[in-house]
Amino acid sequence: MNEFLQFAAVVVGIFISFAMYTTLYGKPNPLRSWAEFSYLGAATGVSIVISITYIWNTAILGIQAGDWILIFSIIFGLMMILRMHPEYSYISRLPLAFTVGTGLALSLRTQIFTSFIIQINATIVKLWTNVPLEFLYRVTIAVSVITILTFFLYTMELSGPLLWTSRVGEYLMYIGFGAIFAQTFMGRLGLFVGYMESLTTPTWKTPYTLASALICLIAAIIFDRTGLGEKLSAG
Amino acid sequence: MADESGIYKKMATYDKRWVYVVLFITTLGPLISPIGMPIGISAMTKNYYAELDTLQEGDIVFDTWNMEFSGYMELKSGVLATHKMFIEKGVKLCIAFGHYEGVALPKEIFGKLKTWLDNYDYTEGEDYIIIGYVFPNEAAVAALAQDFHANVRVDWKGESIEGTFLDEIQNAGDFDMISDYTTGLATTYIINHMVLQYGVPMVENSIGVSVPGHLANLDAGLLQALLASTRGGAELEFLISSPGPGLKAMDAFTLGHYSLIIFIIIGNIGHYGWTRRSGARDRTGIK
Amino acid sequence: MTILVVSFLLVFVPYFIPWGPLDWLSGKLMTIAAVTNAFTIVIAVYSQFRRSGRFINQKRKGWVYHIYLLALLAIMTLSGFIFGQHVGAYEWLLLAVVTPLSSVIYGILAFYMSSAGARALRARSPQAALLLLAGFVVLLYQAPLTGAYFPGIEGAATYLTDTFGMSVSRMFSISVSIGAIVLGVRMLTGKEVAFLGFGEGEE
Repeated sequence: MNEFLQFAAVVVGIFISFAMYTTLYGKPNPLRSWAEFSYLGAATGVSIVISITYIWNTAILGIQAGDWILIFSIIFGLMMILRMHPEYSYISRLPLAFTVGTGLALSLRTQIFTSFIIQINATIVKLWTNVPLEFLYRVTIAVSVITILTFFLYTMELSGPLLWTSRVGEYLMYIGFGAIFAQTFMGRLGLFVGYMESLTTPTWKTPYTLASALICLIAAIIFDRTGLGEKLSAG
Repeated sequence: MADESGIYKKMATYDKRWVYVVLFITTLGPLISPIGMPIGISAMTKNYYAELDTLQEGDIVFDTWNMEFSGYMELKSGVLATHKMFIEKGVKLCIAFGHYEGVALPKEIFGKLKTWLDNYDYTEGEDYIIIGYVFPNEAAVAALAQDFHANVRVDWKGESIEGTFLDEIQNAGDFDMISDYTTGLATTYIINHMVLQYGVPMVENSIGVSVPGHLANLDAGLLQALLASTRGGAELEFLISSPGPGLKAMDAFTLGHYSLIIFIIIGNIGHYGWTRRSGARDRTGIK
Repeated sequence: MTILVVSFLLVFVPYFIPWGPLDWLSGKLMTIAAVTNAFTIVIAVYSQFRRSGRFINQKRKGWVYHIYLLALLAIMTLSGFIFGQHVGAYEWLLLAVVTPLSSVIYGILAFYMSSAGARALRARSPQAALLLLAGFVVLLYQAPLTGAYFPGIEGAATYLTDTFGMSVSRMFSISVSIGAIVLGVRMLTGKEVAFLGFGEGEE
């Protein structure tokens, strides 16, 4: 791609980003609709190209290399597409059953270990160590996991010790949610800050960034005040 | 009392768009005009650095980019710093995407690493191979883990991978390490079908949202190290003495967090000063 | 159902009882399943065309945008297949439209999280106060400046995230895996057939 086209891609990218950010203004406007539909169309096109390329590279090239059994992947794939046909959609049940059966086997054979047994093993560990901090961590984790699990027992009436452990679990869970909220905010802020950093590096992008932000904000206000935003937007 | 109610009422019922404006200014301001605030290094990042430091020249790392372009924006500090370490050490990389947007990433990432690629003579085809989007679903991950060459015959440009360093890879167990950068796409599948089944050590660079879940995996021994979000990447940049987008973003990070804290405090003051009292006035009729 | 159970067994059993021919077959079945799943993109695109077609035919609000969407989709797809993924209109649109907007769509969540946190996080009860306190400590630590001047906050924040936060995630992981196992067994025993398009009691 020549330099001018690269430059144009960057500038259009910056402007379309702020067109999308006008969502935050809270009122519909055509800039936002343009940005939304641009993403829908272009991203769907990309996913089509990439998926077909994957099918070509894996199945077609495999068949050409002598792996004849992969012909079934093409046959099943075409049968799957028949799901859209009102009369022959029942044909898609066969590949659907096959893929669901395979997927079930893949997830069940490993999830039992990684999400269940290994996690329980890691919780029920020898609590006492010579390092006081490690002891504190292990006790806290063991007590938290067990009491929080107790809180989610809905199939029996909680009374006596179970009731108290579930109450403790509830309080510990809220502490955990507080920590998770903070980490989630860090993640989302990181997404935004990272993108803003790319819009200001190298520094020649900064004037385009500020100008796009200002133009889109003014446009959003004008569209709102004149009532054109509702008329010209998609929804 | 009426004046106080006015201030408290404003604190409890301000327009949320002021939050957006303040967040925007506190983020963009330091990026345009950096302040240069100090940063501490966490134990988790030191552990991540130590794990990468165990790699030797010629080791083959499965570099899985399980991120969309948006996730890359959060993880790029860690991605770039980690790849600088890989290039310095002369590690061979097999790069796979977990999302179709991954096709835009190599140009972006290796564009920023150009100086390092030139200095260490690190070239595509010899030192790193991009096999492209190969993780559309769990079955693809499991199939690739079991028989690499039956599922990957060409790189992302359609050129055959025969005769490259990937000839040594028969299944996932032949990789020396898995280095994953994730927004959550195929990571669970990689842990289930590569780490669990073949015992390959795995390090993770994760977005903030996924960190609590990955902490559980780290504690359980399924992951060897974890780098958390932009902050972790900035710390790694500091450790390898190569400032990049992460350290540049830390000022904005700090001010963004502080502005949220201030808004929460304001909201709580408004809540106790007006909302609760207005509820009491409505219930009791006492003005 | 027979297909479901047979394909399940052919992939599940070799994991625990390794035997050459069965391993080979299970590997091939996984590849076939992976490629079959990739075909579902066609169904997604067909649905989009149908929806946009309805908007355009009935001239509903925003129908012009749907024409624009379909045109962009066609340009992207044809350009990618005819000229390749690394040149031309495909690459340009990828850099100018897809990658920036992908970044924005998730970046906007930072604003929504801030306004939601600022408006909803109130210490209305002891539980909410605990949530708020834990959130404050971790938020303060995550701002790098705080850790540089108050090193002690790292210990407190790390304790909260590595114990309580991690415990909640572990609890969810255990619960979800139990649910997944139960659902899987129900599907294999024929109690859940809705995913195949059957009603209750049919097979």
